[in-house]
Amino acid sequence: MEITLVLAALKVVGYGLAAIGPGIGIGIATYGLCVSAARQPEMKGQLMGYFFIGAAMSEALALLGLVLFFIG
Amino acid sequence: MGDALGAFVEEAQGLSAHFEPQTVFSIGGWHVTQYDIWLFIALAVALLVILIAARKLQLIPTNKFYNMVEYGYEFVNRNVAEDVIGHGFKKHVPFLATLFFFILICNMLGLIPGFKTSTGSISCTWALATISFVYFNFYGFKTLGAGGYFKSLCPSGVPGPMVPVIWFLEFFSMVIRVLTLAVRLYGNMLAGHMVLAVFGIATTCFLQVALFSGSIDLIGALPSVAWFLLLVVMYALECLVAFIQAFVFAILSASYINMATHPH
Repeated sequence: MEITLVLAALKVVGYGLAAIGPGIGIGIATYGLCVSAARQPEMKGQLMGYFFIGAAMSEALALLGLVLFFIG
Repeated sequence: MGDALGAFVEEAQGLSAHFEPQTVFSIGGWHVTQYDIWLFIALAVALLVILIAARKLQLIPTNKFYNMVEYGYEFVNRNVAEDVIGHGFKKHVPFLATLFFFILICNMLGLIPGFKTSTGSISCTWALATISFVYFNFYGFKTLGAGGYFKSLCPSGVPGPMVPVIWFLEFFSMVIRVLTLAVRLYGNMLAGHMVLAVFGIATTCFLQVALFSGSIDLIGALPSVAWFLLLVVMYALECLVAFIQAFVFAILSASYINMATHPH
């Protein structure tokens, strides 16, 4: 009982730690998009594509953490 | 106060069981879960909306309903397909619009109290992600050929010895796209509905203990007002998330189609 509780708690802590990096990454990507779209609004459409690819890549790490939380 | 907290913790622990797929009835060997039923309802609603809108196509739509559906299609056409895919995007608009409208209607149906969202089950999102994965790989093979497509996974300009390493990394990130597409939608929907359920349970628990356990305690009922306000705020946020997740799914599919058909 004790060990299962500790394991469940550790899973949550591990996922929380895994979400730090992607959170920072998506923040930086959004910052870059906002800054560059403010400088050159006509490039916004093209930049959105790059932004979503980058955000999806860094979010993939957090999602892998979530999958490990479910299966591990 | 302590009683309410205890009741809340007890209720919240049984919460995840409510989100498990449960068999409602079985036909042959197929066990129909509640998520399947809501999937078919969402399919019927999506078909109904699109068919009614497409029945009377006008050059200048006058009805509000027609305008709304046309705006949605125009949104996919312009913001998702044209901006991300670039030239040759016309061919992919029907696929992307289907994904967008279907996921949006699934997500929005789940926000009506008593309804369930079928995208809150991993099987449904996994199927949608597989469809998208097969679609962009098919168009990658079709436009570049089998050898050209596999070669285009590694960006040009990489120094010789690094090519196998970079290629393997890119291949891995291409394969886990199906996983990330599925888990992103599933995780967002499940977590959002769980948060709503937790605030709903908190509201009822605090109210019940304060008002219906012998003496009426108005001060003790105050936390439930705060919980209810939080619930309303989270509900508004979930409406936004329901739209954003449909948009993100469509725009990521468009990005992947773009990467598969227009190599760098």
